[in-house]
Amino acid sequence: MNKFVVSSSPHIANRRTVSGIMQEVLIALLPAVIASVYFFGFYALFLELLCVGSAIGAEALYNKVMKREQTIKDCSAAVTGLLLALNLPATVPFYVPIIGSAFAIVFVKMLFGGIGKNFANPAITGRVFLLLAWGALMTKPWGSPIHWSDGGAFYYFRCILKGNSAIQDVAAVTTATPLSSLTQGGYAGKDLLKMFLGATGGSLGETSALALLIGGVYLIVRRIIDWRVPVTFVGTVALFALIYGGANGDALGYILPSVLGGGLLLGAFFMATDYSTSPNTKTGLVVFAFGCGLITSLIRFYGSYPEGVSFAILLMNILTPYIDKAFKMHPFGYVKQKAGGQKK
Amino acid sequence: MEKIALKLTFKRGVHPAGNKNIAKDIPLSEFPTPSVVSIPLSQHIGAPAAPAVQVGDHVSVGTLIGRSSGFVSANVYSSVSGTVKEFITKRTAIGTKANHVVIENDGLYQESFLTPLTDLTAESVKARVAEAGIVGMGGATFPTHVKLSPRTPVDVLIINAAECEPYITCDYRLCLEKTKEIFEGIKAMMVALGVKEAYIGVEDNKPEAIRALSVFATQDIRVVPLITKYPQGAEKQLIYSITQRVVPEGALPADVGAVVDNVHTAYAIYEAVFLGKPSFMRAMTVSGKGCAKPGNFWVRNGVTYQDVASYCELLPETEKVISGGPMMGFAQSDLLPSTGKGTSSLLFLTKEEVAEGDKPISACINCASCASHCPMRLMPMFIERAVDAEDAAAAKKLHAMSCLECGCCAYVCPARRPLVTSMRRAKKMIKEKGV
Ligand code: SF4
Ligand code: SF4
Repeated sequence: MNKFVVSSSPHIANRRTVSGIMQEVLIALLPAVIASVYFFGFYALFLELLCVGSAIGAEALYNKVMKREQTIKDCSAAVTGLLLALNLPATVPFYVPIIGSAFAIVFVKMLFGGIGKNFANPAITGRVFLLLAWGALMTKPWGSPIHWSDGGAFYYFRCILKGNSAIQDVAAVTTATPLSSLTQGGYAGKDLLKMFLGATGGSLGETSALALLIGGVYLIVRRIIDWRVPVTFVGTVALFALIYGGANGDALGYILPSVLGGGLLLGAFFMATDYSTSPNTKTGLVVFAFGCGLITSLIRFYGSYPEGVSFAILLMNILTPYIDKAFKMHPFGYVKQKAGGQKK
Repeated sequence: MEKIALKLTFKRGVHPAGNKNIAKDIPLSEFPTPSVVSIPLSQHIGAPAAPAVQVGDHVSVGTLIGRSSGFVSANVYSSVSGTVKEFITKRTAIGTKANHVVIENDGLYQESFLTPLTDLTAESVKARVAEAGIVGMGGATFPTHVKLSPRTPVDVLIINAAECEPYITCDYRLCLEKTKEIFEGIKAMMVALGVKEAYIGVEDNKPEAIRALSVFATQDIRVVPLITKYPQGAEKQLIYSITQRVVPEGALPADVGAVVDNVHTAYAIYEAVFLGKPSFMRAMTVSGKGCAKPGNFWVRNGVTYQDVASYCELLPETEKVISGGPMMGFAQSDLLPSTGKGTSSLLFLTKEEVAEGDKPISACINCASCASHCPMRLMPMFIERAVDAEDAAAAKKLHAMSCLECGCCAYVCPARRPLVTSMRRAKKMIKEKGV
């Protein structure tokens, strides 16, 4: 008698897989990767590959040592690595990404049980860890966009090889990031266009708003991320820029620099949307994203760090379980459990 | 405020590929009944029927062979004429063991039916439905006379012709080929329930069925096109789609004044009331790429899956045999079970058609996709965690009891978590621990 496969219903499934989702995110980050190479040369690509490689390596090693099932095939380590790389300045020495990736994977993700179980976004926590440990390397020399014509493609390689003094040189030619001058006000249209396309200082992935938008819209269209998160996050930041601007006599002048500058778009599209560290209901997501936007604005305008996106997301990650508790989804036909109480 | 819905539907749900083209255009034909049938005495939810014949008895088509053994139970009739050979116990399609009456088919199909009803009253129709052994023919197999006797007064009858499960097309064929009869059946049901309003819900991927039914539609019996989305035919979702009424958690449709029955049930009621024909035969779809001759058939109860597989030419590529639809049906390990009143379809699916194999199982990534597609607005991933932690109280608090087992959650889960299995375990645990 024939024997057939027996399993529980449903017997069909859609095509989406975990690795498929992660690959979509990698694809969505491709424009930002290309932009980073265009603006910072091949050292950017080197850093990105290094981050991805060490993230995957750290996860593989952890699984091996702990005798867990190998999980690197789900591509989530690659996403973490790449996101961390895009959060680094073009001037960091090569050991920084290795340490950062390993920290993010082992201490933020794997120790909590691996994919889906971490409470904070590994890439962001990795960045914050590096900020605290190597603050100087992580913020001071942002690195300015290179010129491809006179051997600029390898400019940062040369700087690194020449040692620290060269990095100082870079710092010398680099003006502050757009954001550090945000509180000082004053942006010309030309600067804004630069910020949009990417020819400004900043971390590898932050400079080109256009590249991030392309990737972000792709993720929304492919239904990998919920549009509510980036829209609310960015919208909240814009709103506070309007209020702050209004208070400083230039209501509209702050909006575009706030939205286009710094890590906002990278954070809003790619990091605040992380599944395990954001709420599970649509209302919860909006509250979460609003919190991200609020904290980002507060840090930017009143804090001592010029950039607040990472801290904002991290803080909201920690609040996520409470948001989930407060904004529970009620089942279809939910009846309030009260004696005699009726809900229509 | 009067709500005007242009296209009727419910919230959430999924859009699996319909795959209805395989069998959609093949008209219903009678399935050649083999020389022996084995008719299950438990073809319904509730107590199994008690044997009403003995080995050696001669039976006709329509002879009572199993007597209803309670209010929630149903009579079983012989589907062939011939001699009762033996009683056997074997596995049914849903995996439980049941007593079967084995009858040698003499091939004459002598009929002995009930007398058609002439005077239609609520009582006479309900009595006839109970006597004829009619159960929910969409697959739920809940005794229909119980549904027609709601504990609270109702004002609307909803006929489920949504047929939202992929592959299945028997209700569709029925709508095209037995349109007038379906309306007669609905009228009898309206008499039984004392309602003045009835709606026939059909998904809009079956425009021919909508057109055919609309010819007979009246002020009182309306045809409503529904958006094609699974599980449009789930009772609570269908009630919401058509009337915007929300059945409260733990309540029955009748509590919001509605009764939902399958379109095939309406047809069976027509037969029982106007022709005196009890329930022993049904329209059934055989489909899937694992058989060479798919189609829609009138199948007499007691035909085995092996008989169906032989006639429809089962192909060696078949990996899964499913009784019912691919979203909620039961996978069969072998072809031993018999068809019954609730067997709406038998699917022979190949490897490429079923999800197994190409989608690896991994840890939950907390994407909340399951929750955002759940038509009952549950949190499947949390319920699964509660089950894994053996925490029945937590599972209950997460409303696991409201789960329809529709499978939307598992269908979308990228980690391919066995969520429906977890839901069943949760329910079992809650019942056992009595939390
Ligand atoms: S939890 Fe239950 S009702 Fe919700 S999608 Fe899953 S099976 Fe359907
Ligand atoms: S869809 Fe699957 S992976 Fe996503 S939250 Fe639900 S159970 Fe977890």
